[in-house]
Amino acid sequence: MDTGTVDSRRANRTYLKAGSRFPFCKGCGHHHVTHAINDALGSLQLNPNNVNITSDIGCVGLVDALFDTVHTFHTTHGRSTAFATGIELADSILGDSKLKNIVVIGDGGAMIGLLHLVNAAQLNVDVTVILYNNFLFGMTGGQNSSFSPMEFVTATTPRGNIIPPIDIIKILEGANAGFLARKAATDKDLSDTIARAIEYPGFALVEVLELCTEYALRGNSIRGNKLAEIYPGRVLEMGTILNNKERKDFGDAYKEKFPPNSVKPMKEEGIIPKYINAIENQIGLVIAGTAGERVQYSAYLLVQAAVLSGANATQKNDNPVTQGTGFSLSEIVISKNEINYTGIDHPDIIVVVSEDGMKELITQDVFGRTTERTLIISDSSLNLPLCHGSICRLPLRERLSAAAAAFGGIAAAIKLKGIFPIDALKEIVKSQGKAKDLLSVFEVIEGLI
Amino acid sequence: MIAEGAIAAGCRFFAGYPITPASGIYKTMIDELSIRGDVAISSPDEITALAYVVGASQRGFKAMTATSGPGFSLMVETLQYAVMTETPLVIALVQRLGPSTGGATQGGQGDVLFVGHSIGGGYTIPVFCPSTPTEAYELTIHSFNVSEKFRTPVVLLTDKEVGMTSENVDYEALPTCQVASRILYSSNNGGTFQPYAFEALEDVPAFAPVGGKVKVTVTGSAHDKSGSLQKNSSETIDVLRHLQQKIQYHAQEIVTLATDVQAGSNVVILSYGITARTAKEAIKRLRGRGFKVSFVNLKTLYPIPEDQILEFTKEAHRVVIAEENIMGLYRQEIEKLFPGKEVIGVNAVGRMITPGEIEQAILTYQS
Repeated sequence: MDTGTVDSRRANRTYLKAGSRFPFCKGCGHHHVTHAINDALGSLQLNPNNVNITSDIGCVGLVDALFDTVHTFHTTHGRSTAFATGIELADSILGDSKLKNIVVIGDGGAMIGLLHLVNAAQLNVDVTVILYNNFLFGMTGGQNSSFSPMEFVTATTPRGNIIPPIDIIKILEGANAGFLARKAATDKDLSDTIARAIEYPGFALVEVLELCTEYALRGNSIRGNKLAEIYPGRVLEMGTILNNKERKDFGDAYKEKFPPNSVKPMKEEGIIPKYINAIENQIGLVIAGTAGERVQYSAYLLVQAAVLSGANATQKNDNPVTQGTGFSLSEIVISKNEINYTGIDHPDIIVVVSEDGMKELITQDVFGRTTERTLIISDSSLNLPLCHGSICRLPLRERLSAAAAAFGGIAAAIKLKGIFPIDALKEIVKSQGKAKDLLSVFEVIEGLI
Repeated sequence: MIAEGAIAAGCRFFAGYPITPASGIYKTMIDELSIRGDVAISSPDEITALAYVVGASQRGFKAMTATSGPGFSLMVETLQYAVMTETPLVIALVQRLGPSTGGATQGGQGDVLFVGHSIGGGYTIPVFCPSTPTEAYELTIHSFNVSEKFRTPVVLLTDKEVGMTSENVDYEALPTCQVASRILYSSNNGGTFQPYAFEALEDVPAFAPVGGKVKVTVTGSAHDKSGSLQKNSSETIDVLRHLQQKIQYHAQEIVTLATDVQAGSNVVILSYGITARTAKEAIKRLRGRGFKVSFVNLKTLYPIPEDQILEFTKEAHRVVIAEENIMGLYRQEIEKLFPGKEVIGVNAVGRMITPGEIEQAILTYQS
């Protein structure tokens, strides 16, 4: 082992490249851990085609290339678990679900990719992470990592580290991980623990503690046989810490919820034109009101009715980012021809049914862009700013409910402009289960205009 | 329509993270893929979303994600990995106003150069740009086809105004599109599998999935044809050349444009995305007033369709390039193609360009 060559006697079956020389320094724990992974694969008698080793960046990123027959996936720093999770999701749900995914990652990568570890644990995907924790960045010159113990001397903590280290086991416990273990690289039963982790049907992580021979031994008195005491003032819990047999593998849970199904190509229920429109030029309508008062929904009904009348229509909605409060606005373009330009430079119709809506129209300078041809339908409670065009004030909020005022304004616009038969709008309302109450609006509007 | 195109193209894996204005694609894919028993999954961030997609694609399934500028920024590391590992995938990027968080509900076409130059070393990833729902459908399928045929990530670059405007679509009139899939390695051909094998630099390596019957080596590090990590062997240098050559050599197959040439016109308008739609309106109006104008809808931004642009502008004295960003980003990219011609940019930020502004640009310069 210290010579760094593969010892074929260690397992009755090896997955490592025969006779290849390990690239790790003399005495480095990476030798032990890598052999333990190989031994674990051997003891499980896994078909190499059903194994994928995903490696991270750093010295541990050289591990995948030592394996000969299994699939290997050498990734970017910290992201290894996310790539492996993607492979596993596809394999377990779309594939034959035979693949065993093993991630090899260092302590640096584990911190960059902490999110991915937490995420994989939370999902409980069948990914086994072997964390080679040597408490520092070895490949780049021995800088401290987020796993460095207090008072640890590294290239970048020359007077000793003052930042308390991450306890990955505790973090992943919090993320509902199913299998967690902490071992030392020199533990005789390391390969057994790794084998149990690989066997576990879900996310498993084995944190393996080891000292970087090149950088850790120089300034620190701790030695490999005392690794459980590496964090001053705390004795680490070692061995298999959690083996929860209750948690369901993510792929199984997903397939249970969404069994394979052959669904016909998607196609929305279409509208076949039935009425005739009287549109000459492209019409731009802006409707504004208050969130929760069915402004955008009323605009949607208008668009449907326009299409039912053989026209083309576009709709854009706007509201504050929080969505449920403040103004609600829609811009609708209706044309008998193909609509190229979906903007409204000079509105033909403005429907404004609340103070919130009016303020937003002012902010967007919609009134400033009115022309002589603009029809403005306004709730009679509003004091409109100066603008061009003709104004039609209606007691929409008073006579209809607040939630029907916007639709009332639209019905009034159709009635006044005659762009298509009002029956088209009625028919659309009837076809919508949740809009039945709006049918009574037509009668009120008839009475008002 | 992007989601519909993706499903028609055979996409079976979608990973998403919510972001306005791309969340509609995410929601539709979640609904549509899950009822089929395919994978549609929420990821904890955009980095994870794209890493999932790379993993799924390497396992052998067509995969995509959707995001906007801020999410794309996070994805660039993994996108570069996809280039290096020759992983087919599609990212739908629905642009919003930037930089940074910018304006979530405001449109923009400001990510053009960022996307087109997002790969270290200057490698080209195909970028397509739809302007209508029908084009979104057709170009999504084309994006998947190109990603599969040439084993490359593809960006489908759209914007808030295209992505979040609802309109009626005639399903009967949707184009019927051929669907292409990656060439799979067959052991019958003899020899051992090399995941990055090619003879000529422009050849596309046959694909074998991770988890399949032949050992696959995937690596984002510089590698030879077998996937072994190497620094500067001549084979590794060849692999690096091959990554660009396979796109550049096949540019004619990748590029798709829509043109509307009017005989005798000496003005050509070039535009893309939402602004191409506006340009069509301007052209309609100009022609209605007796002006002769030609139009090129740049449905492909990268690889830059230089040959086609040169062909369609060869008679022109003036080239008008309309796009919704301040600096005329794509104009910077192509104006070198027009020595001796008048190149005019029509630009806006934070709002759509109006047909009137494009008309004005032509009328002002009309001698």
